[in-house]
Amino acid sequence: MGLPNLRGRVAWVFDEDDYDIDLIIGVRNIKITDVKELAALAMSDREPGFAATVQRGDLLVGGRNFGYGHPHYPAMRAMRHLGIAGVVAESFSPGFFRGEISMGFPLVTCPGILAAVQRGDTIEVDWAAGCVRHLGRGSSLPILPLAAAERQTLEAGGLIPYLKQRLGRREGAPS
Amino acid sequence: MTEKILARASGRDFVRPGDDIEARPDFVISYDFPGYTDVFFREAREEFGVDKVDRPERFVLFIDHMVPAAAPKEEELHRITRDWGAKQGVPVHERKGIGHQVSAELGYAVPGAFVVHFDGHVSQLGAFGTYAFGARKGVLEAYVSPTLAMTVPPTVKIVVTGTLQPGVMARDVFHHLVRVMGPSSCAFKAVELAGPVIEAMSIEGRQTICGQAMFLGANTMLIAPDQRTLDYVRGRAKLDLVPVHPDADAVYERVVTVDVSDLQPIVVVPPSPANTRDLTEHLGVEVHTGYLGSCASGRLEDLRAAAAVLRGRQVKPGFQLHVVPTSQAIMAQAAREGLIETLVEAGAFVSSPTCDYCYGRIATMADGQRAVSTGTLNTPGRMGSVDSEIYICNAAVVAASAIEGRIADPRPYLASAEVA
Repeated sequence: MGLPNLRGRVAWVFDEDDYDIDLIIGVRNIKITDVKELAALAMSDREPGFAATVQRGDLLVGGRNFGYGHPHYPAMRAMRHLGIAGVVAESFSPGFFRGEISMGFPLVTCPGILAAVQRGDTIEVDWAAGCVRHLGRGSSLPILPLAAAERQTLEAGGLIPYLKQRLGRREGAPS
Repeated sequence: MTEKILARASGRDFVRPGDDIEARPDFVISYDFPGYTDVFFREAREEFGVDKVDRPERFVLFIDHMVPAAAPKEEELHRITRDWGAKQGVPVHERKGIGHQVSAELGYAVPGAFVVHFDGHVSQLGAFGTYAFGARKGVLEAYVSPTLAMTVPPTVKIVVTGTLQPGVMARDVFHHLVRVMGPSSCAFKAVELAGPVIEAMSIEGRQTICGQAMFLGANTMLIAPDQRTLDYVRGRAKLDLVPVHPDADAVYERVVTVDVSDLQPIVVVPPSPANTRDLTEHLGVEVHTGYLGSCASGRLEDLRAAAAVLRGRQVKPGFQLHVVPTSQAIMAQAAREGLIETLVEAGAFVSSPTCDYCYGRIATMADGQRAVSTGTLNTPGRMGSVDSEIYICNAAVVAASAIEGRIADPRPYLASAEVA
């Protein structure tokens, strides 16, 4: 089993370092649990109407240390609801990285991505080949590999199915 | 140190960075918060069929957010937590203070222990030589399995040298490390903190620094236990472990030496904890409210510094100074020392311990307001309106700024306090 490639347009480029993802919906909205409400708020402080521009399978691109701060879950729940399939960033803040991998949301560490793409470009993440391709230019950049547990969590679809598989295997294993 | 602790926790003779292990947490610590504990309790039962956690004496719950409750659903969340604790045989500590501090007071910070939480600020137990890791959602694994799968991180050693100048506190030292090393410089690493400045530092100061490890990107931060540590944990430790020290020939991914002899008080300007600046660059900025508290600061040395600045002086009329000792034990000691009296007479609003000031649930700022704060984070909107601003600084700076109504240097006040 392998992870399916991610192929989509770059829906937004967060070019700032240390970006706090709570700002996507606004810290004042992080207690909202209704995902439709959250999705409508996504990026509304930056670009009203952003939600309508997203197509299913689109990707986000981020800078260095993306997700710094106290990352909460509503921002990426909103993005997933809009159809965002993953984030490709120069690097991720570890707390954000752990939390979203647990949600089964693909995060791709790709040094050099900021300089290589613009909003609207179409890119493809090829996990097996270990690269991100720019489909317009034909160029590609290597990605950092996932740890085994991270890859298995994504393959399973998130922490809960992953833990069920792992713990089930252990119970079923011959002693 | 990290490798020794994780080797014991995973039942191996030794581990190396990059090894995938299954480690048994000595303690699993949580506070109740909607979407976290209530969900863990439900998922453990419904998704995994786990009615009872493995060895419940390893677990502890704190009620420190939404204290006191201000809405029925908040109190309902606390009731779910109390009921779950009673059913599981897991202690629930309520209204005793901020859990990361109370954990240490109650003896969960055992040198050499492996501790997990969902919240990364638990790294402050590293002040006692504990490997304390904030796994976020991943802590669910500890609720449904005796062990937690993890990868052994490489260790970065930070050696802090020099002598701290008057008016410079542990809080300044931490944010200086972010400034010189970078906010992601220790991403996915364990940090071992050492050097003469740390050896000379109080337990409280060590807790302040270790608790902020996430803002260097680190998984956690820990300090080798010394006599001061052992004196603190004696009679409290909930586990009898041999304290762990680094080997003389320990291998580090990197050793960074930071000299703090020239360090001046800092201020961390909005919008991110990555933005450490010298306090002197921002003196005079008008501020409307001040917060002295949180799991990072709000301990006795913070209260003593604020009281030294405010003794015999007054908070500027209209300025809101909120002082929130980190735990009940700290608050009681502050009362015995007369600190509470000094702060109240100066015009401070002193509250019992709670996390709620740190994230704007109470003392919420309106548009255009600006705070000086010892809270953990300065993201816009963290303490109220998205159009309010937070300047993070040490406790003495909060106190001096409260007197002047603008960001102020506490050192002249501290100097005159010493003369008097």
